[in-house]
Amino acid sequence: MNVLGEREREAVASVLASLEQDVSVMLELGPAAAPVTLLAAGGGEIDPGDQTRAILEDVCSLSERINLEVVERDEPGPWPRTTIGPGLRYLGMPLGYELTTLVHGIVEAGRREPSLTAASRGRLGALERDVAIDVYVTPT
Amino acid sequence: MLLAYKLALASPRIHASGIEASEFAVEADRHGVHAVPAIVVDDRYAWAGSVPETAFVDRVLAALGD
Repeated sequence: MNVLGEREREAVASVLASLEQDVSVMLELGPAAAPVTLLAAGGGEIDPGDQTRAILEDVCSLSERINLEVVERDEPGPWPRTTIGPGLRYLGMPLGYELTTLVHGIVEAGRREPSLTAASRGRLGALERDVAIDVYVTPT
Repeated sequence: MLLAYKLALASPRIHASGIEASEFAVEADRHGVHAVPAIVVDDRYAWAGSVPETAFVDRVLAALGD
């Protein structure tokens, strides 16, 4: 099922055409650890798992360099969870601007060299322990 | 969020996640998130708002105390 409009599909395909290497995308689905009710503009209830699956299947179909794997979990957890490449994670539905970010995240993971500046890479190279960066967003 | 991903791709020490705040409201509340984008470093609220790459790296390192 295509959830993106024709213009969106063309735009996403154009961005994904810059992938320099194959990228794996894993979507984990299952019961939410802390369920919330999400309503669409028309008042109907949204299933985040179904919606995310439809979006990712549509996006990932637009490049032969992307391999999408969908995993169904039995235990409650932070689902839907999308993992791009070596471990870029997104929890929730990638809607609105976050879909754009997700697509560009795939492109970043598909680069042969990181796009971060050499100066920033040098500073991060001094890190002596693991660091978790969580970025909270809302669909806009 | 894209900058966090770029940092994670540049350093194996960094693990980056984007989190949709309304779906994960319990976690957002726990981290004191009132505006987005909100950046949490090592489980502690760090700042809100988009900043350029250099400032982003500055703030992450400052949040670590490094």
